[in-house]
Amino acid sequence: MTNPEQLRALQDKTAIVGVGTTEFAAIYRDLDPERSAYDLGRIAFREALADSGLKKSDIDGVIVSRLPHYGRMCEVLGIRYPRFVNVLPGEGRQSGIALQYAALAVANGMADAVACIYGNNGRSTGARYGGEDRGASTQAMFEAPFGMTSPGAVTSLMFRRHQYRYDTPVEALGQLAISNRRNAALNPNAVMQQPIEMDDYLNSRYIAEPLRLFDYCLINDGGVCFIVTSAERARDLPNPPVLIHATAQAADITPVYVADDFWYEPMSRIADDLFATSDAQREDLAFAQLYDNFTPTMLFTLEGMGFCEQGEGGDWITPERIGLRGELPLNTGGGHTSESYMQGWALHVEAVRQLRGDCGERQVADAQYGLYACAAPLATGHILKRDGA
Amino acid sequence: MTDATAQKPLPPITRLTKPFWDGCREGELRIQFCNICDRPWFPPADNCPRCLMDDWEWRTVSGHGTVWSWIQMHQRYFPGWEPDEYPITIALIQLEEGPYIYSNLVNIPAEEIRCDLAVEVTFHKATDAVTLPFFQPRR
Ligand SMILES: [Zn+2]
Repeated sequence: MTNPEQLRALQDKTAIVGVGTTEFAAIYRDLDPERSAYDLGRIAFREALADSGLKKSDIDGVIVSRLPHYGRMCEVLGIRYPRFVNVLPGEGRQSGIALQYAALAVANGMADAVACIYGNNGRSTGARYGGEDRGASTQAMFEAPFGMTSPGAVTSLMFRRHQYRYDTPVEALGQLAISNRRNAALNPNAVMQQPIEMDDYLNSRYIAEPLRLFDYCLINDGGVCFIVTSAERARDLPNPPVLIHATAQAADITPVYVADDFWYEPMSRIADDLFATSDAQREDLAFAQLYDNFTPTMLFTLEGMGFCEQGEGGDWITPERIGLRGELPLNTGGGHTSESYMQGWALHVEAVRQLRGDCGERQVADAQYGLYACAAPLATGHILKRDGA
Repeated sequence: MTDATAQKPLPPITRLTKPFWDGCREGELRIQFCNICDRPWFPPADNCPRCLMDDWEWRTVSGHGTVWSWIQMHQRYFPGWEPDEYPITIALIQLEEGPYIYSNLVNIPAEEIRCDLAVEVTFHKATDAVTLPFFQPRR
């Protein structure tokens, strides 16, 4: 395990003070092949800035992801002299890392206020998340010739193995999809709000069997921004500060993306790091926003982070436990399968809004601490905390 | 979207990977082994990922392995497969020697496939240049 003293160096030093998103549901109804990722990013930034109470001139750090280049984003936003700037690859696992970099920069004096900005025009530009021509990559040489492609197929392989080892019922995945949709029905910004039941889930078509359509994230356009500054400064701003209380990263880099332990090792290391440094333990979390590119990823995260034993996720996942009034409400805004496919970015925004108490009908009770976690070859987790908790 | 002219994707053959594909054409599955550590790896790389040395060679392996997991791909991401070829049965095989390799399972109905099934390589000529290593139940 990492040294908890070192990890604690970041504890409660920084805060998310502004969040913004585009209108996911409205944009979904309006396909626009000319919609640019920068257009989505700038709308989210403008909203986050207004939400934060900061002035544009206060923003001296910019981290972008999925947006092709930081330069164009800063140009559009008229941010000419930032002192901390870069671009992260357009992978979902990078959203948590964007927050970590922003917190590290602010805590160590390299920036005062960092805007993390994401823009995704994948739906309008016809992204399929499978079947791409990848040149002379390993994918093109040793996967595509066998029809192997897409992150969903990899997750499906892992889930089949999990079923084989632990008799995990597919209905557990169904419960996750149904729960996400139920939460989305209380989220006016969610793309998919029509409730689904187990029959709908089981009757949805296979994509990469055993995974079905309802196990999959949506493909939709959108932008998200969050702004990070020091906890001290955050206390002078209009919103209750949401502190970056504990955060950790762990990776499991294999040649085939698949982890033969379902990412148990990296997720358990993250859990060890988070709970060793946090004032909160698992039972103190008001919710968990779990990366759900595909529903099994949530199952693997719950097991890896010790909410249940490995192999017991299938039984542990019940509507009573994971619902908004349950012991661990999951993906309270609807997640990637129902709210929006913002690659973890909108999960961060939902966490902030829950901790501020701004979630209306889907607000969970007593939200003092909340978890974000993403299981992937490069995994992240944070415990966020409402200031004063 | 059926594209009558679409072909199944063929592997680009590079300097590094040519011995693998030469082996397949000759009916042998070959992977890299370190001459210092005596350990294999796959997919190909320019050095031994353990000791980082360049002293390695291609060795013919047993072609035996087990099915780590398998899926049936229904989504037509690649237009080169005809509609009646779907779903495609794709497996992640763990070779007896250790490394994992993606492939297709053949000569077995889907109902009989399970994880940890013992399999062996069988070669399928795709073009004059490319022969693909498929896997079937071990005899
Ligand atoms: Zn070696």
